[in-house]
Amino acid sequence: MSPLQLSGLVTVVATTAIVAVGVPLAWLLARQRLPGGVLIETLILLPLVLPPSVVGYYLLMGLGEAGPLAAVGVRLLFTWQGAAVASAVVGLPLLVKSGKAAFASVDAALEDAARVCGSSEWEVFTRVTLPLARRGLAAGVVLAAARAFGEFGATLMVAGSIPGRTQTLPLAIYDAVQAGRYADAHTLVLLTSVLAFLSLLLVARLERDSVMVRPHPVMPRGGP
Amino acid sequence: MRPSGGRRPVRAKGPTRGLTVTSGSSTPALALDVRKRLGGLDLDAGFDADRDVLVLFGPSGSGKTTLLNMIAGLVQPDHGEIVLDGQVAFRRADTGRSVDVPARHRGIGFVMQQYALFPHMTALENVAYPLGRAPDRLTRAARLLELLGMQSHAGHRPAQLSGGQQQRVALARALAAERRILLLDEPFAALDAPLRERLQADLRRLRQELDLTIILVTHHLEDAFAIGDRLAVLSEGRIAQVGPVGDVFRRPATRGVAEIMGIRNLLSARVVAVGQAGLVLDWDGLQLRLPPDSNLSEGDDVTVYIRPDDVKIVYPDRPSSEAVAHNVFDARVTAHLESAASRVLRVELGNGQEVEVRFPALSYRPIPLEPGAVVRVALRREGLAVLQSVHRA
Repeated sequence: MSPLQLSGLVTVVATTAIVAVGVPLAWLLARQRLPGGVLIETLILLPLVLPPSVVGYYLLMGLGEAGPLAAVGVRLLFTWQGAAVASAVVGLPLLVKSGKAAFASVDAALEDAARVCGSSEWEVFTRVTLPLARRGLAAGVVLAAARAFGEFGATLMVAGSIPGRTQTLPLAIYDAVQAGRYADAHTLVLLTSVLAFLSLLLVARLERDSVMVRPHPVMPRGGP
Repeated sequence: MRPSGGRRPVRAKGPTRGLTVTSGSSTPALALDVRKRLGGLDLDAGFDADRDVLVLFGPSGSGKTTLLNMIAGLVQPDHGEIVLDGQVAFRRADTGRSVDVPARHRGIGFVMQQYALFPHMTALENVAYPLGRAPDRLTRAARLLELLGMQSHAGHRPAQLSGGQQQRVALARALAAERRILLLDEPFAALDAPLRERLQADLRRLRQELDLTIILVTHHLEDAFAIGDRLAVLSEGRIAQVGPVGDVFRRPATRGVAEIMGIRNLLSARVVAVGQAGLVLDWDGLQLRLPPDSNLSEGDDVTVYIRPDDVKIVYPDRPSSEAVAHNVFDARVTAHLESAASRVLRVELGNGQEVEVRFPALSYRPIPLEPGAVVRVALRREGLAVLQSVHRA
């Protein structure tokens, strides 16, 4: 597979995992008083501030021969799946952070109103909470996906840079520069930059729209 | 907030329950008796309601909204019982099985403060929401919007509606699932007077047509008079008095209730004579004569209330009528207020106390009533009421 195809595959798989884990987690952190909630949140946000090599080192331990996954026969080191895991871990904090803010901005009185109207907790979530939080969530997903797409350091430690198998776009750029293939590097850098720019543009749009969808205060003194 | 003298405000429970005026069926639509500690508030209240409009009235922070939330199943009492249509919706006691029916199964219509309309749905979708997946949900919702005169706004989102329109959509949503018990939390708070009156009329009509039991929270006495059948006065988490609206207003049980309702002319006096002929009270040096009251004895400290309409100005040059035969005192006008229909005076009596006098705008035209003027006033004997706790009445 080409670096672009590999990056696409890794990003899609990582983003799916981020959404599956991050959305429920963001809701729990915003709406439920979890015991140790602050601790959980801090642990999840840690990859935002740790050097990628440190995150990569932990993953190497976790996914390696001595790790818990190897014990059950799953070997992800130096595979594209391993790269996806690394991307998911560094992308997750971005969705959890903006997802938590999005859920917290939904007026709890609306959820109560839905309960009184006969909705189960699942219906409250799918028909009221999720639609009202969806812009903020979407912005979080795009940010997380962009971060997953750009993952470099941790991926290098966990998956290496094997052309055709684990060499994603950012790794291919590094490789091209190391080998002096500047023409290749130019193309790849331009491609990456355009994608990054477009995704940020999308985030800005989503965040602007989400402000408009917030619950509106009652207009006083309104006529019929 | 406490009555002077030895009288204690009534705990709402047993004694007050006996005074509630319900339509006589053995299982009222709603009965509750709950306790909850909540920050600085110790809520402890009980009442029932059955196919009437019960107004919960009280200052903010007295626990009104919390009571509604408990009925709806959004807040759990620490202790107590809530019965809806004969079914226990909540029970927690020291012994026996605990019950807590979730909000979605309680069958309550609730118009919340600020209406809590779903901002991502149109008016029609909001009203159809409680109808779930019923195939005719949109037709039924449309009919409800029509009932409230909102059919032309069916496609609008809440943000595009005025306060009054939002209120009506919220009311339609609360009625949609054909709930028999309707909770309304300050439903008229954000509305101006004409709209308020129109919606009050709507609500009276709907109550009749749909045979609803309505619990309405407000801190505007006008709302209570406009649509309430009964009034429960809430003070610091306790129900201080409950009864027909007019009764509670004319005969507040305690000084606390009278003050909460903004009633003027509360006089602190001491009983100096009791007997067949009536009571004699000493009010800071002035003698007040009242009808007999067998509950009182000499030396009791009492709070006496007189409506401003029962304080009369005495014409100096006319023979005194029955209305002004007793309790006639010299007074000096201290303030003079005028509204369209009536005039209100404040006058200071010989004992340094002030009372309010209210009369139709055209009365007493020959008498000079500007501030500083000296007049004679009569506190109508039959208008003087000793406030007493309900359990002693």
